[in-house]
Amino acid sequence: MSVAREAIRFDNVAKSFAEYTAVEGISLSVNAGAFLSVVGPSGCGKSTLLNMAAGLMNPTRGSVSIFGEPLSGINRKAGYMFQQDALLPWKTVEENICLGPELRGVPSSETIAQAHEWIERVGLKGFAHRYPHQLSGGMRKRVAMAQTWINNPEIIFMDEPFGALDVHTRLRMEGEILKLWAETNKTVMFVTHDLEEAIALSDEVVVLSAGPASRIVGTYSVNLKRPRNLIDIKTEAAFNDIYGLVWRDLREEVLRSYERS
Amino acid sequence: MSAPKRTPIVVWQLLLGAALLALWEAGSRSGLLDKFFFSRPSDIVRRVAEMFASGAVWGHLATTLLEAALSFAIGVAGGVLFGFLLARNRFLSQLLDPYIRVANALPRVVLAPIFLLWFGLGIWSKVALGVTVVFFIVFFNTFQGVREVDPVIVNNARMLGASERQLIRHVLIPSALAWIFSSLHISIGFAIIAVVVGEYLGAAKGIGYMISQAEGVFDTTGVFAGMAILAAVVLCVGAIVDRLERYLLRWKTRDDAAPESHL
Repeated sequence: MSVAREAIRFDNVAKSFAEYTAVEGISLSVNAGAFLSVVGPSGCGKSTLLNMAAGLMNPTRGSVSIFGEPLSGINRKAGYMFQQDALLPWKTVEENICLGPELRGVPSSETIAQAHEWIERVGLKGFAHRYPHQLSGGMRKRVAMAQTWINNPEIIFMDEPFGALDVHTRLRMEGEILKLWAETNKTVMFVTHDLEEAIALSDEVVVLSAGPASRIVGTYSVNLKRPRNLIDIKTEAAFNDIYGLVWRDLREEVLRSYERS
Repeated sequence: MSAPKRTPIVVWQLLLGAALLALWEAGSRSGLLDKFFFSRPSDIVRRVAEMFASGAVWGHLATTLLEAALSFAIGVAGGVLFGFLLARNRFLSQLLDPYIRVANALPRVVLAPIFLLWFGLGIWSKVALGVTVVFFIVFFNTFQGVREVDPVIVNNARMLGASERQLIRHVLIPSALAWIFSSLHISIGFAIIAVVVGEYLGAAKGIGYMISQAEGVFDTTGVFAGMAILAAVVLCVGAIVDRLERYLLRWKTRDDAAPESHL
C-alpha cells in the first residue's frame, strides 16, 4: 500500500455553546479508507466532533480539513448516518434513496435504476413503495444506509446509527456496514458509547474524556484481521486484550462522568 | 380502529340521532314543546324538501358556497404565504408579533358592519369577513409547522446535498402540510360560519340571509331548515377535505395524523 492519504484532520479544535465548552484541544487525523471509532461517556461531545467534520457546525477555535482542504460549509465529500430517524417520512423508500442524486441534479431515469440496485443490496426488495412508518427500525436503518451510500461519498459519518436497535438486528447491521465498507473502501468515522462495537468494527479507536471540555485521552490501533466475524470476535483473545487496554482508560472517564452528573 | 369495530359505532350514532329527533317530534306533538318556538322535525324536513323542489334554495346556497370558497382560498393562500415568510424570517416575525396577536384577539364579528360599509351588501363584504377568520387559523398552523420541522431531517437533507430552495420544497413544505391540513378542517367550517354571519347581518342573498328573513317573520321552521342545510353542507365539505387529507398525508400513520375537526 502507498502512503495513506489523510481524509479528515482536526487541528486543535474547540467547540463552545454559549458558556458551555463541549470539546477542546482536539487534534486528530483519520487516514483515507480507515474505519475509526470515537468512544466516550455520554455527553462528551462525540456527536459534536462528527457535526463539525460534516460541516453542520463550525468549530469555535481551530480548523477541520477534508483531504487537505479547510472545510467551510457542508462537507460535500461526506455522507452522514444519524442516530435518530432521519428519513423523510413523506417519501417512500425509493424516493428517499433517490433523494441524494435528485438533489444533485442526476436525471431520475438513471437514479431509479440505481436506487433499485441499492434496495436489493440492503435486502428491501418489494418495499420500494412503502413509507418509513410502515417499516421496522432495522429496515429504516437499511434505507438510511442506501440513502447515504448511493451518493458514493468518500467519507461516511455515523453517529450511533444502531443505538435504537435490538441486539440481534444491530449485530446484523454492523456486519452489513463492514461488508459495504470493505467493498467500497470509504473512510468511516463512527461514534458510539459501546466499546465492544467500536473495537469489533474499527481499525482505530479514539477515547474522549468526560465532558465538559472533552479532550482525546488516547488513540488505540485495533490490529484484528479482516474480514471479521462479528458473531465470534468478542470471544477471541486478541479482542479481549485490546478491550482490556482501552477499557482501563475509558473506565476512568465513565466514572468521572458519573461524578459530574 | 379496525373495520369490525367501526360498523357498530356508526349504528349507535345513527340510533342516537334518530332517538333525539323522535323525542323532539314527540315533545312537539304532545304539546310539551311549543311548536312556535321549537318547530318539529317532520315540518323541517318537509320545508327543506319544498325549498329544493321549488328551486328557491339553490341561489342562496350557491351564493353562500361561493363566498365561503373565495374566503377559504384567499385566506389559505395568505395564511400559508405569511406563515412561511414569518417562520423563515426571525426579524419579521418578532417585528409583527404584537400586531398579529392584537389582530387575532379581535372578535371578527365586530368587523362585519365595517366590511359592509367598505364592500357593500354583495358577496365581497362576506368574503372579507371569512378571510379574516381563515387567514389566522392557517397562518398560525403554517408558522408552527415550518418552525417545528425536525432538525435531524433538515440536517440529513443538507448532507444529501439540498440547497436552501430544495430544503423548502423537499422538507419544509411537506412537513408544514400536516399542520396546514389540520387547520383546513377547522378553517373550512369557520369560513362557512363567517360568511353566514355576514349574510345574516346584511345581504340580499345566501343561507344566512334566508335564515334572517325567516327569523324576521317568526318562522322557526324556516330557521331550522336553513340550519339543517348549512349543517349538511359543512359535513359534505368536511368529508371531501378528509378524503384529500387521507391522500396527501398517506405517509403518516393514522394515529398521529391531523386531529379530528371540531366544527
